[in-house]
Amino acid sequence: MNSDSEVIPIETDVLVIGGGLAGCMAGIKASEYGVKVTIAEKANTLTSGCAGTGIDHTWAYIPPIHEKMGWCIEDLMEDHIQGIAHGFINKELLYLVASENYERVLDLEKFGVNFRFDDSKVPGKFRIVPQFHSVPSSFNFDGRPIKVKLTKEAERRGVNIINRVMITDLLSTDGHVSGALGVGTRDGKFYSFKSKAVVLCTGRVNRLSRIVSGVWGNHRLPVYETGDGRTMALRAGVPIINTEFFSPALFMIGNYEISFGVPRAEVQPAGSITGPNGEIIVPRTYFYDWENLGKEKWTSEVRRKWMAQRRADRPPYPEMYKQGKGPFYLDLTGGTEEEIKYAEWSVSNEGDGFRFLDYLKNQEKFDFRKDKIELLPNSREMAGTAASGLAVNKDLETELKGLFAAGDEVGGLPWQASSGAFTMGWHAGEMAAKQTREQKGFLPVGEEKLASLRELCADMLSSKEGLHWGEVELAVQNIVDYYAGDVRAEEMLKRGIERLDDIKGNISFRAENTHELVRCLEVRSVIDNAVMVMRTSLERKESREVPFKFYRADFPEQDDENWLSFLALKLEEGAFKFSKIPIK
Amino acid sequence: MFRPVVFNEEVCNGCNTCVDICPMDILAPNPEKGKPPIVMYPEECWYGGGCWARCPLRDEGAIQIITPLPMRVSILRGDR
Amino acid sequence: MDTSIEANTIETDVLVIGGGLAGCMAGIKAREHGGKVTIAEKANTLSSGCAGTGIDHIWAYIPPVHEKMGYSIEDLMESHRNAIAHGFIDGELIDLVARDSYNRVLDLEKFGINFRYEDSKIPGGFRIVPQFHSVPTTFNFDGRDIKVKLTEEALRRGVTIINRVTMTDLLSTPDGRISGALGVGTRDGKVYLFKAKAVVLSTGRANRLCRNVTGVWGNHRVPVYETGDGRAMGFRSGVPIINMEFLSPANFSIGNYELNLGSPRNTVQPAGSVVDAKRKEIVPRTYFWDWEKLGKEKVDVQAVLKEQMTTRPQVRPDYPELHSQGKGPFYLDLTSGTEEEIRYIEWSISHEGKGLRFLDYLKNQERFDFRKDKLEWLPNSREMAGTASSGLLVNKDLETQIKGLFAAGDEVGGVPWAASPGALTMGWHAGEMAAKQALRQKDFLPVNEEKVESLETLCSNMFDSKDGLYWREIELAVQNIIDHYAGNVRSEEMLKRGIERLVDIKNSVSFRVENPHELGRSLEVISIMDNGEMVLRASLERRESRRVPFGFYRADFPESNDEDYFVFLAQRRKGEKVEFSKIDIKR
Repeated sequence: MNSDSEVIPIETDVLVIGGGLAGCMAGIKASEYGVKVTIAEKANTLTSGCAGTGIDHTWAYIPPIHEKMGWCIEDLMEDHIQGIAHGFINKELLYLVASENYERVLDLEKFGVNFRFDDSKVPGKFRIVPQFHSVPSSFNFDGRPIKVKLTKEAERRGVNIINRVMITDLLSTDGHVSGALGVGTRDGKFYSFKSKAVVLCTGRVNRLSRIVSGVWGNHRLPVYETGDGRTMALRAGVPIINTEFFSPALFMIGNYEISFGVPRAEVQPAGSITGPNGEIIVPRTYFYDWENLGKEKWTSEVRRKWMAQRRADRPPYPEMYKQGKGPFYLDLTGGTEEEIKYAEWSVSNEGDGFRFLDYLKNQEKFDFRKDKIELLPNSREMAGTAASGLAVNKDLETELKGLFAAGDEVGGLPWQASSGAFTMGWHAGEMAAKQTREQKGFLPVGEEKLASLRELCADMLSSKEGLHWGEVELAVQNIVDYYAGDVRAEEMLKRGIERLDDIKGNISFRAENTHELVRCLEVRSVIDNAVMVMRTSLERKESREVPFKFYRADFPEQDDENWLSFLALKLEEGAFKFSKIPIK
Repeated sequence: MFRPVVFNEEVCNGCNTCVDICPMDILAPNPEKGKPPIVMYPEECWYGGGCWARCPLRDEGAIQIITPLPMRVSILRGDR
Repeated sequence: MDTSIEANTIETDVLVIGGGLAGCMAGIKAREHGGKVTIAEKANTLSSGCAGTGIDHIWAYIPPVHEKMGYSIEDLMESHRNAIAHGFIDGELIDLVARDSYNRVLDLEKFGINFRYEDSKIPGGFRIVPQFHSVPTTFNFDGRDIKVKLTEEALRRGVTIINRVTMTDLLSTPDGRISGALGVGTRDGKVYLFKAKAVVLSTGRANRLCRNVTGVWGNHRVPVYETGDGRAMGFRSGVPIINMEFLSPANFSIGNYELNLGSPRNTVQPAGSVVDAKRKEIVPRTYFWDWEKLGKEKVDVQAVLKEQMTTRPQVRPDYPELHSQGKGPFYLDLTSGTEEEIRYIEWSISHEGKGLRFLDYLKNQERFDFRKDKLEWLPNSREMAGTASSGLLVNKDLETQIKGLFAAGDEVGGVPWAASPGALTMGWHAGEMAAKQALRQKDFLPVNEEKVESLETLCSNMFDSKDGLYWREIELAVQNIIDHYAGNVRSEEMLKRGIERLVDIKNSVSFRVENPHELGRSLEVISIMDNGEMVLRASLERRESRRVPFGFYRADFPESNDEDYFVFLAQRRKGEKVEFSKIDIKR
């Protein structure tokens, strides 16, 4: 790539940025409206996003089962609002997710993803376990090939998938989105999209913090998800919410950082946590007795018990470690053969799980039936999947007309996970497609942003004094970890912002080739997101331990009166502005 | 990733004093006489600066140490 | 290079392992007795060891000054014993260090190091500041090129210096007498077999046990090639090693550029203070001692000792604790200094380890000026506590339990914060003792050929290895283990688990090297593993806490227990097992 690099112009009615679960669903749904749909993906949709190497769980309100339990959708909502988000949630969006994910599951089934099992005693032959709510509400399914299935479905429907393009800028004209710009990560070309609507679904923001094990890339979540959507949106003047919720590190399977969290996730029901002498710290559970379905009706007492149990299931390992307690072990040795096989099947479908099992078995000669795995500190993450992200209305549209967002790109929905990706992707795709049908032609896009991007890339590629992206990233991570650590305070946050601004203002990148250029662009996203974390942390003058473990030493108490709101950060003419969005 | 030691080929005369004294032994003499040493193990530099301090042509700019960004000090300037 | 390793055999009367301050002094002194003296040095003595890039401070009992103050050598030792070591110090060794340090300074002067200044108002023209003790006892001097001067002196006296050899094993007879040592050339890839009648072990400290805070490998205050090789060798030969549990919590200092300027009571005196973001003083500045008063008033010795004991903890706040309470940021602030004071400090820094380069970097790259700007105080990487706190157990003649094996400097245990005077005095004394020992011995004792073969096999295996790991990978895993299980809060089960995991790595993981350089690095990691294991085992054995002065804390034994544990814990290998014993602390 050089400063004369070719520009590839693409016109599309709907542009989906990010081809993960949400993006593929958006593209698939949008295609039903007879409009041209393009997905621009940084990697390859076959294996990209948090479900790129698999996913084994999605929660939903499942009428054939939950109606029999006497558990209605409002009960699910209330479980999620109280037990998971502790009130800090956008209820309109939650309703969308809760009410529509079952339909999405049936769609996924049509796309070739299997949810039914002969040995199941559950109506519909599903495999359903408790994970997020007071009754079983999570499907376990054959999710390892889900991205392959979604990619095939999208292609079958005529969606144009462009892989290996990193989108860097949104384009807008007169308050309406008009397209986007990107860089080909292999061909080094510039991609200039004109579109009538955009669905932004680039997922989470990772790499803000040092990797605990010192093995770069060893993270539970994809390290190529660098919050690109949030920075693009921020620069386009769109408000981003809840970016202060960058959590302390959790203890999970160490040192191989992998997606199956606590024993109430993939390693149910046999998974327990034990201490050094076999003492039980978190007990195992048992499969739901489906013979009982319909015999007992659900009551709110079930919720009360569940909420208490949920707290007990999540002991404060970092505090316990600081008290000299430990080591802690994930222990499945109490499981029956059936239970262990279930857990292994489940793990094999979860992200990284298939490869992890192979490694455990063949390299470590590990057997869940006999051996335990130690829990160790994992690397830090932004809290709760779609807790932080873009502010959207109930149709998933942002303040920038024609710009929609879906999945983990959206803010205000703690722990909506894959359910949010499927439902919001679908809905955003629909809304975007419908909107484009009302728009006659493409809006004009100016040349300035492309010229800027061209110059930026040229500078990086020709730089002599610039720094390697890894060097800049390391400095930024050290700053985030030190000034936006587990305990925050005004002066520390101000100093952190100062130091980040200093890096942004004075440091340039050096890239030897297109691949490195893209890594540099990712680090730029990381820096912008780090600034958002710091600034919003400074703005929130309270603590919110539950559920985000957000703690300010100078404002140690929770203050719902003033702060039961989403804090929205917006760039207005180069200055950061905050507003509060009260939570209804 | 880091480039801790950089030589100016115009100035350095290949005396290899730095090679002799580097305690981490990260430098090697250039196969071509009179040319600057090769930095064989840049990731093992301990930033002692001995190579720079003892270079006979230091003031003429033969050798430069580049401090990596994560190692740079954090300054509060006088006007703050 | 081919994988059949050749062995060089070298005969020497005295072998000094490690050519830092202690090793060079040992070699220099040993030569006074005739006989062949060889220093085996991993790097190059011209720039190796903690003083390799300079040193600006040596403490001592300085008769021309202290006698005038009415300050006795016992007063100095009391200050060191109480305020610095809190009693946890070998009385005989600190006596040696305190008594001989001034003489060693005079020797250094003879070797060409300057200690005298025309503008000084102090007897002797010295520059003396308070750092360690209740009155000024520390020389500031032109120490940047001290290793050059020591190397030159050693060579002048006919010491043989062999650089670029990493020593790996001690050789001794079954009846406990030293017969030599083994090492590997890190450039030529050869095995070096030394036959010696006496050995001085002076390889310094044990670093690289913990992850570097900034993530820039090598960015450490103390040399990262000092990997406790002597301790590992000593341990493997059955010599007791003491105080290994004292791997301290991280301290704050100038960040992120880790170097030796310590607290504001070290190199950046007197103008150095620490302030917070609102310029509130956390640690106040000091003032130069008023030398006009010298001889006119006697110092109230008890009062100054009491003052030192009170203020020392005050000027060393628990920054990590403050950080965890959301306090900070913190800044080193010299802006209140006079021009004279700042120049003094800049001169001093320029002679301290890494200092010259640091000043150049500050000035030219950062446009930093101590007169106007402040430096942020940030977490530094962890270290073993107090210089020669941990190390080999020696008697007052610095001999270990292996006859003819001596140790000096930071290699020695039981002398917290002996620092450079410890290196100089112990080096000198050990050199003398070793030379005398060698004179008493007519012939070389037999060396254990099996050990030579073992080393050759180890090296071959590393070269031939297909499945072995690169040394960096192993080191990272080991550091993670030490940081997690031997962190700031320790406890029985965690320490046991750490030992289990470390032993598992030692037994199941092999190294892969492409060349002698990587071989040297791999051997260092073997030392790190051995030292790490010693840290864990000693921590498990000490069933008490000893926060002052070592920061050692056990959650399961949170109190200090002087009755049972006011002792040095010594660990020694006996066959497959590790045995502990308690060593009474000599007053």
